[in-house]
Amino acid sequence: MTQKFGLDPSKCIYCAGCVSVCPVLALTLNETKIVCDEGKCIACGICEKGCPVAAIKITKPK
Amino acid sequence: MKVLLLDKKKEIGTPVRCGEGVAEHSEAELGIKVLPSAIASKIVGARVFAPNGKSLCLKTAATHGYVLERKLFDKHLAMDAVRAGAHVLPHALALSLLKKEGRPSGVKVLHMGEEIEFHAPLIVSAEGMEARIAREAGFDAKATLYDVDTCFEYEMAGVSCEPYIDLYFSTRVANRGYVWIFPKGKDVANVGIGIGGSVGQNPKAQLDLFIAEHPELFKRAQPVEYKGGLISVGAPINEFVKDNFMVIGTAAHQVDPIHGGGIGLAIEAGNMAAEAAAEAFSKGDYSKKKLFSYEEKWRKQRGPKLAKRLVLRKVLEKMSDDDWNYLINSINDADLEKVLAGDFKPVVAKVVLGRPTLLKVLSALV
Repeated sequence: MTQKFGLDPSKCIYCAGCVSVCPVLALTLNETKIVCDEGKCIACGICEKGCPVAAIKITKPK
Repeated sequence: MKVLLLDKKKEIGTPVRCGEGVAEHSEAELGIKVLPSAIASKIVGARVFAPNGKSLCLKTAATHGYVLERKLFDKHLAMDAVRAGAHVLPHALALSLLKKEGRPSGVKVLHMGEEIEFHAPLIVSAEGMEARIAREAGFDAKATLYDVDTCFEYEMAGVSCEPYIDLYFSTRVANRGYVWIFPKGKDVANVGIGIGGSVGQNPKAQLDLFIAEHPELFKRAQPVEYKGGLISVGAPINEFVKDNFMVIGTAAHQVDPIHGGGIGLAIEAGNMAAEAAAEAFSKGDYSKKKLFSYEEKWRKQRGPKLAKRLVLRKVLEKMSDDDWNYLINSINDADLEKVLAGDFKPVVAKVVLGRPTLLKVLSALV
């Protein structure tokens, strides 16, 4: 299965904006790494919209 | 009382997600001493710029403040906590809430590759916008795009600075937000942008646009740090305490909805929560009822003022660039002072007289 949460780590500034807006607590910031619990992620795309540096790309499951 | 301070950062205070501006408070008000090394620069006032470049200047006792060096300020707070007898553990990520008989009883923490369980009769979430553990405990601390601003900020050298906090309003550049320049020295400043989370502008791209459009300020400027984050500009969460649990500061959305500042509010809330915790400890009772004194005090002292400012935010976000130009042109520095103090009526009357179309927008204020 394709991963839903796609992050470009070269753009990410570890601000955890995505963690704050995730409605299902799927994301965690661990120092300089955003970890996504793909089992919880509902691919709603809110984190993509909330990212201040456009580092996130959500793939909706087909 | 045994206190354990957990911080997920390996270096407390770093990285920074903040404009670092704070109003001047006395040591007595804050209950802490701000060391001179944690103050990057002193501020005497604020200037508000309309899209066309016209500005108003606010310079009163109430506009005195500092731009902090949060990397040092936060670390100093942790040092003070050590001096007061607390245990401090950096590089400790709270993974999940532990419960016993349905009530919060501790947190599971990831520290140096090990999962550790800490048990306590009282947990205080000062988690900032993420508020993961607070949300797990059932607090409605989720951030929605409508009630946040998405922010991006450079710390830049080579900016010519004056001791003012400068705010630039423009829907074209920063819809439902603003661009700020907070000086941290003679030629160093935090240059940042906040944009309404639901408006769809990219903060970094928009800040780069602003910088390109202001060569008079940024011709020689270069960034030395990239920062960013989301900040609540909505209402505080609907409850701050439950049995065995309190939420303080930005995690509780205790943030000014107009400028997004939360340092002073967080320190105040921290003091109130600490009093409630001490009282709970002395009675051995950590029930919601016992801890509620913190929430009651905060809502009474801060609630009404912030609610008024939320109304003002919702009014300002409806204004076009043309409205902004008209507004800044038609009011003076003294009028702005009244508005910021929460006295809208005389200013609204003055503005609406010249531009009746603004009546609908501004009527919410009177």
